[in-house]
Amino acid sequence: MKRIILISLFIVIFSQLFCKITVDSFVKNRKVGLSDFVEFTIEVSGEGLNRISAPKLPLIKNFDDLGSSSSHSSSIKIINGKRTSSVTKSFTYTLRPRNTGKFIIPPITLKIKNKKFVTEAISVEVVKGTTANLPKTGNRHSQSSNNSSDELEDNLFIVAEISKKNVFIGEPITVDYKVYTRYDISNLSFLEEPKFSGFWKEDIYKAEYKNFERAKYKGQIFNVMKLTSVALFPTSTGKLYIPAIKMNIDVRTQAQSFFDFGSTKRFSITSDKVQINVKEIPTQAPAGFNGAIGNFKIRSSISNTDLKVGDSFTYTLEISGSGNISQFEQPKLPEITHMRFLDPEITAQINENKISGKKTIKYLVIAQEEGTFSIPQVSFSFFDTKQGKFVTQKTKSYNINVAEGNNIYIQSSTAQSMVRMEGSDISFIIANDEILYFKLYFDSFLYWLVWFIVFLSIPVSFLIAKEQSKLSQNTDYLRQKQARKILKKYMNDATNAAQANKIEFYTFAQNGLSNFIADKLNIARGSTFETILDKLNERNINIELIEMVRIFFEECNKARFMPGGFSKDKIQNDFSKLKDVISEVSKKV
Amino acid sequence: MKKIIITLLIIFAISSIFANKQIDNINNDAIKEYQNKDFTKALELFLQIENESIVNADLYYNIGNCYFRQNEIGRAILYFKRSLKFDQDHQQAQKNLDYALAMTKDKQLSETDDFITSIWNKTLKILNLNILAIIVLIIFMLIVIMINFIILRYRNREKTIPVFITTLLIFLFAIFVTFSVVQWKRLHNHNFAVLLTSNAAGFSGPSDEFTRVFTIHEGMIFEIDREENEWSLIKLSNGIGGWIRSEYFERI
Repeated sequence: MKRIILISLFIVIFSQLFCKITVDSFVKNRKVGLSDFVEFTIEVSGEGLNRISAPKLPLIKNFDDLGSSSSHSSSIKIINGKRTSSVTKSFTYTLRPRNTGKFIIPPITLKIKNKKFVTEAISVEVVKGTTANLPKTGNRHSQSSNNSSDELEDNLFIVAEISKKNVFIGEPITVDYKVYTRYDISNLSFLEEPKFSGFWKEDIYKAEYKNFERAKYKGQIFNVMKLTSVALFPTSTGKLYIPAIKMNIDVRTQAQSFFDFGSTKRFSITSDKVQINVKEIPTQAPAGFNGAIGNFKIRSSISNTDLKVGDSFTYTLEISGSGNISQFEQPKLPEITHMRFLDPEITAQINENKISGKKTIKYLVIAQEEGTFSIPQVSFSFFDTKQGKFVTQKTKSYNINVAEGNNIYIQSSTAQSMVRMEGSDISFIIANDEILYFKLYFDSFLYWLVWFIVFLSIPVSFLIAKEQSKLSQNTDYLRQKQARKILKKYMNDATNAAQANKIEFYTFAQNGLSNFIADKLNIARGSTFETILDKLNERNINIELIEMVRIFFEECNKARFMPGGFSKDKIQNDFSKLKDVISEVSKKV
Repeated sequence: MKKIIITLLIIFAISSIFANKQIDNINNDAIKEYQNKDFTKALELFLQIENESIVNADLYYNIGNCYFRQNEIGRAILYFKRSLKFDQDHQQAQKNLDYALAMTKDKQLSETDDFITSIWNKTLKILNLNILAIIVLIIFMLIVIMINFIILRYRNREKTIPVFITTLLIFLFAIFVTFSVVQWKRLHNHNFAVLLTSNAAGFSGPSDEFTRVFTIHEGMIFEIDREENEWSLIKLSNGIGGWIRSEYFERI
């Protein structure tokens, strides 16, 4: 048993030792053309390699890395009952050579399962053109002619066609990039778009789909396609270069036999740089020159010449021609008084070629004063590139009649403007004579004292209320209180009667006094005055007072019931007597 | 005995009046110095008044101006803030504070209020504590009068109307007391501070050895959360928090 285990262990270890990983690298062609691509492959094979990613290539001199693709195959072997599965992964990189010559693809270091692997260095020779078997050109006629060649550069190339090679600064040039071919092209794509330095660029055309036409170039028939077209306005002088354009072009090879469907081959094609010469324009420019270069015409028009004060008309300048039409300023108007020119409305219609068109400058003018005025000629200068000198053109002048009008126009010079702030600073200090003490009332003792006193009024009034309710339950007290009220009422009536010298005085006086005393003595109201006097006697009240009351009652009876007892002279005397009696009674009873 | 007390009182009153006069004189001198553009001297005099433990919004405003003239933006902001603390409606202090804040290196978030909070703040600005004290007292008096009235006059009668009025007054009273409490708390809140050094680093803990979280510059206004030894945990207006040395700032 032990032996079996030992053997099996040995086998396992052995198999682990033989689990070998191999790394290999190669290129498809050791000799390639500048328009071709180098296909560089790294192949890794071994067991358990399912999870390795494409190794990253270092920067390789003289080559551009265009990306990679990977493929993968696996095989299972069973030898002597032992099962081995091996996987082969290959990573293919597409490299584009930059220059011709002999170059080396350096060794690449890979790290797989913590082991380092190094590939061998490979030398590659790059020659001009292509080394690939060129497909047959599509043009059968040219094939038979003597001029035809099978070289790639004669059958597929890009040309920058330039309208002019000697120009003045600012003078527009159009550049058309065209691809000429005799092959069957299946696809094109820009590899590098040209960068124009020293020019102001306006795009005219850019190809969006394949569009070939037959055309003659240097006596030969080609399929031609315009790739892109730009208008360039040189902004600096001297020797400038129209940059090259780089394209990837896929060429379809022709089927060789019935079963061959053909294939495509990719080439990268570069156009040549083109040098142009930019000249400076002469320095002695006329006064009205404002940067216009080319060939132009100026025209003016006016909507109305007879108007009233306050009316408006339009004055239009139209500049048409070819040149840097979108790049110069509108001509300056001479100083015009009596009329107000508002800011112009400028519209530019520029043709598709970007170098010719029409510019319209429309002024709205308001007549401010009456009279006959003229709009003088406007001069416009430009540099004529054909003649190589400055040209000045002038517009017509107009006479305008302004009649009196209703509209009042306020001159623009009197327009108001907001006050502008010219500087800023902090505000000045506060110069109080006295420093006021900031005192919080909530912090002061006096404030809370007021609160306390106010609050104290509640228990005080509560006490008062209690006292009142106690008294109100006492009927005697109530009667006493009512006695004064009733007396007051009688006294009012008596006073009125006394002032009018009427006999009713005695009635009020007698009733009032008797009721008052009755209430005071706590006996029934309306008691006879004998009973009242008796009660007074019982209380041991001062005899003089009783006598006073008795005398007053008798006086009243006399005046009321005895014929001739009432006399107007006595009434005032009795009124004062009544007052004395009442004051005495309220004091002593 | 009585005589001694009376004479003492008189002496005290006279001396206090005399002291007031002296302070007013110092104030006038300071203003003169400021007008003559001797800001150092003016500041010295104003600070002398402040040392007399006098609390006055205008005084703080003037001190802030002196510091501003001497390019001490941090202290200027501190005093403008103090001025506004005692008089929220101090227009000039607010204007100068805004001006000084525009000169600081750090952009300070000014809270943009929504409608309701802006009304609330405006109300608080008008109702300073002393006005509130009087309003609260008057309402309290009215309530007491109503209660007395009910006790004395409406004991045996229908009480709906006076009770209704009293309830209304108590409701008003509660509102104004709330205002007062809010204002009181604001005035006695010393949790805000201004940075006075030209710059200071904020750390994640109370020592330089912690991670540096932010750097603030002179004039920064922030809230102090708590203090530990010589370090304070502060909170900036944009919500960032960190520890800085307590000696670098002064509470408003």
